[in-house]
Amino acid sequence: MKKAVFLVRLWIWFSLRQLRSQYWRTLTVLLGIALGAAVFTSVRLAVNASVDSFANSMDTLAGKADWTVVTPGARVPEGLVAALQKHPAVETASPLLSTYVRPAGNGGEPFLLIGLDPISDRDMRQWSSTGTSERGSSWLTLMRTPYTLLPGEKLSERWHKAPGDSITLEHAHRTVDFQVTDILEPEGLALAEGGGIALTDIATFQEFTGLHGWVDRIDLRLKASAQNDAARSIAAMLPEGTVLEKPSEARESGKLMVRSYRLNLSVLSFVSLFVGMFLIFSLVSLHVTSRRHEMAVLRSLGASSRLLFFLFLLEGAFFGVVGWVAAIPLSSFLVRRLVEQVSATVSHLFVRVQVDQLPLDPLEAASSFALTLFVSLLAAIQPAIEARKVHPREVFLRHASRENGSPAPYCLALLGALLILTVWPLVRLPAIHGVPLSGYLATFLLFCGFSLLSPWCLHLLGSHLPPLLQHVGGQPAYLGGRYIRDSGARMALSVGALITAVGLFVALVIMIHSFRGTVELWVEQSISGDLFLRPKMSEINRYRDPLPPQTVQLLQDLQESVEIVPYRRIFLTYEKVPYQFEALDLSRLRHHASLLFLQGHPENIFRELEARDGILISEVFANQTGLGVGDHFTAQIEGTKLDLPVLAIFRDYRTQGGTVHYPLERFTKKSGDTSWSGARLFLKHPGEDLEAAALALKNEILTRSGDQAQALEVTTGRDLRRIILRIFDETFSITSVLLLIALLAATLGITTTLATFILERSRQLHTLLAVGASRTQVRTMIIWEAVLMVITGEGIGLCCGFFLSYLLIFVINRQSFGWTFIYSVDWTALWISLPLILGTALFAALPASQLVFQRPASQVLRE
Amino acid sequence: MASIFRVQVYLTDKASRRLPLLLCFLAAMVMLMPCSSRAETSYRSVAGPCHLEFPRDHGPHPGYATEWWYYTGNVKSGSGSPFGFQLTFFRHQFVPPGDETGWPKLPSAWRTPQIYIAHLALSDIMEGTYRHVEQMARGAVGLADATSDLEKTSVFVKDWSLEIRHEDSIHHLTAVAEDFGMNLILSQEKPPVLHGQNGYSLKGKAADSASCYYSLTRMSVHGDLVVRGQSIPVQGSAWMDHEFSTAPLESDLLGWDWFSLQFSDRTELMIYLLRQKDGGMSPASSGTFVDASGTTTALVFQDIAVEALDHWQSPHSGGSYPVRWAIKIIPLKMELTIAAQLKDQEMNTPGTTRITYWEGSVSVKGNGKDGKPVTGEGYVELTGYDKPLNLP
Amino acid sequence: MNEVFSSPIIKARQLTRIYRLGQVEIAAVDHIDLDILPGQMVVLKGNSGSGKSTLLSLLGGLDQPTEGELHVAGRDLRKASPAEITHYRRSSVGIIFQSFNLLPTLTVLENTCLPALLAGKPSPQVKARALDLLDWLKLTARLQHPPSHLSGGEMQRTAIARALINDPAIILADEPTGNLDSRNGEIVMELLWELNNKLGRTVIIATHSTLADRYAGLSLFLKDGVIAEYS
Repeated sequence: MKKAVFLVRLWIWFSLRQLRSQYWRTLTVLLGIALGAAVFTSVRLAVNASVDSFANSMDTLAGKADWTVVTPGARVPEGLVAALQKHPAVETASPLLSTYVRPAGNGGEPFLLIGLDPISDRDMRQWSSTGTSERGSSWLTLMRTPYTLLPGEKLSERWHKAPGDSITLEHAHRTVDFQVTDILEPEGLALAEGGGIALTDIATFQEFTGLHGWVDRIDLRLKASAQNDAARSIAAMLPEGTVLEKPSEARESGKLMVRSYRLNLSVLSFVSLFVGMFLIFSLVSLHVTSRRHEMAVLRSLGASSRLLFFLFLLEGAFFGVVGWVAAIPLSSFLVRRLVEQVSATVSHLFVRVQVDQLPLDPLEAASSFALTLFVSLLAAIQPAIEARKVHPREVFLRHASRENGSPAPYCLALLGALLILTVWPLVRLPAIHGVPLSGYLATFLLFCGFSLLSPWCLHLLGSHLPPLLQHVGGQPAYLGGRYIRDSGARMALSVGALITAVGLFVALVIMIHSFRGTVELWVEQSISGDLFLRPKMSEINRYRDPLPPQTVQLLQDLQESVEIVPYRRIFLTYEKVPYQFEALDLSRLRHHASLLFLQGHPENIFRELEARDGILISEVFANQTGLGVGDHFTAQIEGTKLDLPVLAIFRDYRTQGGTVHYPLERFTKKSGDTSWSGARLFLKHPGEDLEAAALALKNEILTRSGDQAQALEVTTGRDLRRIILRIFDETFSITSVLLLIALLAATLGITTTLATFILERSRQLHTLLAVGASRTQVRTMIIWEAVLMVITGEGIGLCCGFFLSYLLIFVINRQSFGWTFIYSVDWTALWISLPLILGTALFAALPASQLVFQRPASQVLRE
Repeated sequence: MASIFRVQVYLTDKASRRLPLLLCFLAAMVMLMPCSSRAETSYRSVAGPCHLEFPRDHGPHPGYATEWWYYTGNVKSGSGSPFGFQLTFFRHQFVPPGDETGWPKLPSAWRTPQIYIAHLALSDIMEGTYRHVEQMARGAVGLADATSDLEKTSVFVKDWSLEIRHEDSIHHLTAVAEDFGMNLILSQEKPPVLHGQNGYSLKGKAADSASCYYSLTRMSVHGDLVVRGQSIPVQGSAWMDHEFSTAPLESDLLGWDWFSLQFSDRTELMIYLLRQKDGGMSPASSGTFVDASGTTTALVFQDIAVEALDHWQSPHSGGSYPVRWAIKIIPLKMELTIAAQLKDQEMNTPGTTRITYWEGSVSVKGNGKDGKPVTGEGYVELTGYDKPLNLP
Repeated sequence: MNEVFSSPIIKARQLTRIYRLGQVEIAAVDHIDLDILPGQMVVLKGNSGSGKSTLLSLLGGLDQPTEGELHVAGRDLRKASPAEITHYRRSSVGIIFQSFNLLPTLTVLENTCLPALLAGKPSPQVKARALDLLDWLKLTARLQHPPSHLSGGEMQRTAIARALINDPAIILADEPTGNLDSRNGEIVMELLWELNNKLGRTVIIATHSTLADRYAGLSLFLKDGVIAEYS
């Protein structure tokens, strides 16, 4: 304890005062690490908020249920409620229906309408209304009066509706005036979906949605005395296709989908922290170098080498702790901006979330603190070990000198090459529980490996370039080149920050470009169609409401002029992997569109599909389930058992999991389900202006649908494709933000690195002045050094980025999301941005070059 | 009897909680009716003769707001352990007849005007424990219902049921809860007793402050009780009430005390006392005496003298209930002392329907008709003693 | 003034320190035999590179001999572990440098206290002693100043206070007057002589300067790592 107190005291005397006197440098590094910590923390918090809000919604919806009865891909007959209720082990059987509906009129935001039996539900879920402290009259009113509802506080505020007011709601099939009975207290069930829910009686729900006779699920609470085999005996009484599930299953499968996204963002945000680590390293090692003599004095006065080690480790810890504290306001600023974007992305890609609060998770805060501290200590450990090596006899050396102990550049380069080579076997390892750990490790090794290549590259540049440089930039350029040659291993880690940031930048530019290119191609070929038609809110209601029969009839009447490609889409899970089963009229579709098959010619595949019974699966589904061509796929859909071979794998970028395609006519025959989830329309005679023709068709359908029109969502193909690409771009905007911050931190790194080198050599630089160099010449030399450094960093970063882009596309994306893309490089973006980064980095070098002449030459030289 | 006033309690809302208990019913009824004037006229009311006919009138009477089938009894196990039991089925119509016309054209199967509630209680006199539980369900999709045809009348709420076989007047009660229950066969030993004027039982000053009310005052019981998973064969005697009405309790009333007593000389006595807010007894209080042959004597307010001898304060609701009484039936020269077999027999359901009343097994001794010494058993129901609900 | 009969506080036999510079080996100290008695004032003379500083750093426990024996204050420095040598530096020697080697971020008082604090002595006690020493060295007015605010003489007096804080038996001074003007040089030499004469410390001064000559009890002249002359 006494020792620790003394250590801190000595650290304050020795290190903190130094940091304080050079506050610009200290602040820069602190800013860098704070940015890193803030990005990391706020991204984690934002993603967690989304995941938590989803999990909470699922939990409050599940209530106190022990089991849930569902029919995958379909609904449960309501008659089961009474049968289950009479089972001796069942305490309560409570039916539940839910769907997204929205207030009529433009801009009405969809919300979750929940239909339940207020009486059976009282044992299952907690909710009450504000007007009555007991559930009292409001639930009775729900039961007594058709089309009454209890909105959550948030909804009533959004709608400006008080009890007694009426609101018009539209669902896929109907539009009805509802009366607000009362407002829900913000507790329990009312907090699901971030408070954006409304309750109604199950009778009203069925009458509104036309789901007479059906419920989405039946939640069961068992008696405390229920035997262990109760679940089995309950399951035995269920009709075929209806199953007993743990209520947590839906939540877990949702969380599973978000997990990869969460991890990817975490890793991406960690890069900023990683870049911050370079900054700490660079400053601490500057101190170790420039204060070597002082350390020798300490040693001569009786300080142990361990003491020096801890002194510098403490410096790292200081940056970690203070950086993290400084990150708090930054995080709270960032997280507010991120949370909306993240939750939008999570909603687009995986599960619908409504974030209404940002819980401050102490565990998350503690872990971000621990990580920041760890990274900072890690950054300080190498310089601290260097400090440990200071020998007391160095006290007799008049000036600080660097021991020539660092390994030769080619040794580092060999090590770097070795690390890069390790990536090769590493990426062939499978993901662990869906987490591409080896992919992330490979990424880390790439960054380290390429950073280690830099001294050798600098040495090469410095050895061969100076004559040329002299020609271009005169003596200063020549000297700058020479200095770069001899700068040694430390440069590797300092340039490392830049390599990491540029590498990441290049890789993401390539990945996003490839991704977008592939998605565009996919949209063009697979999402073809002149008009798309489906019930309103199909997407958020997971296509559970088919097209009304009148609409189907109307479409069939149009067949003269329009080719109709109907489909039936059902959301299911295969061994806990969520996917969409889509039965569609492939034989008609292939005349107009194609699928992007991973292997094989489309013509042959379609021919095979006509000849034999089988399915086509998406790349995502294949990667998530391990199914390949020739394997057998089994599923229970709407009570129909399917056991079919996989005929081919196609690329698919629709969100919310993998896809299975099956010919519609075969599905209809097997299941007897003739309903359509939606249809694509192709104009047989589009004429010259396709868009105008499509719009005309849209208007015709809407006009002829009459009352049904308001239940339909009719989108022209061009609009739909534009929407898909817009969602795509929104999804990646967060990536761009993270990337910019990493680049910013790297730029700060360049400033500190250069400052380090300049201060280290101030004697040498002043000697140059003394022997006749002009200040401009010295500054020019420094700029040249910066140019060489930044070019090397960018060059190596570029190489690193190409490697990394492969890794991202073919390993990490495949293991995380199950898809890969057609590789293509966005040269234009690179050509524009790389010089821009160079310019920015050089701009960042300017303040450093001003440092040289801060102190009078005579003073520097006399020391 | 007086269960007519029970259903309302759980229907209370913030406004009606400020009213005395007995007003709650009125408040609840008004509240239940979207348009009170129309609603009042659309429910069927009891304002005159009930024309009860059996077995037809064992069945449900939709159109009246409230109805119940109410069984209490005292039984003994083979080893002589005494038990008291109560099983009640309530039907409550919360949508007045005729309002169905406002329903959607294609109504959901869940849309129903009826709610059913059932109360089950078991008093283990030896052990000194009182168990009770309730069930509630809407009268739809097979969750609860009441039906009657030539063969039988059946009423059920979830898996609790009552079945009356018309052919031989056998009543079959089945209700099993988490840790106790019953499966009892009841045989009617006396014809139905019609209270008041042939079943028209006045409960206030107005002619329509009334119910149709009959009892099966003596039924033999055999079957099984279930306690903590153990089946206990029992035998004994039971009492059944069936009553239906639409009328709210009149506003000056506070609560009521109801006694159903079966004597060793095979006679029975039912009395109900309507307590006024001013502390006195309502003149509508009355009773019925049934002799061994089943002949009834109607009793009026002036015939009955009751004195509470002991009280017990409920730790659950805070209500203070009388638990020992001295009762005189003046014209019949009856002088009886009645004592609760257990003090705590309070039906208290704060988590669910929030109905609170005391309903318990009692023993009786004293002088029966014409002063002859008798012993007996019975059930007593006490309402309006629950303090929180009495607060103005 | 010499205690002739006491055993030597410094005893070196065949003491050798060889440096390797690339392929070349240079013997900075070459098989020196040396006995220094407690309380002696010794002046090491010789040109740059003659081995004065190397000998001082060996005596101060700042460096390890390549060959030979070295016993100082009853300790075998050749065989001592790094921890023992650290302890030796803390307790037995005080070193004064030509360039003062004060830590720039510490004040005069803190610089003075540092060796005692490193040795783990309790802070109040250390501070009291440091204040005494600084008072004696006429630095009381400068206690809270950083070294950069001091004159050369003040800096060296601070260094002397720092060397004395642990009350060492041996004071080693490497060119203590090298960076001082003659007046301040005189003052420093007077102080060292006082330490030797009045407080009985063994003082070993390595210097070019003739200033020390008149205080020397023993003068050694080093040339190419060998003692060329005793006087």
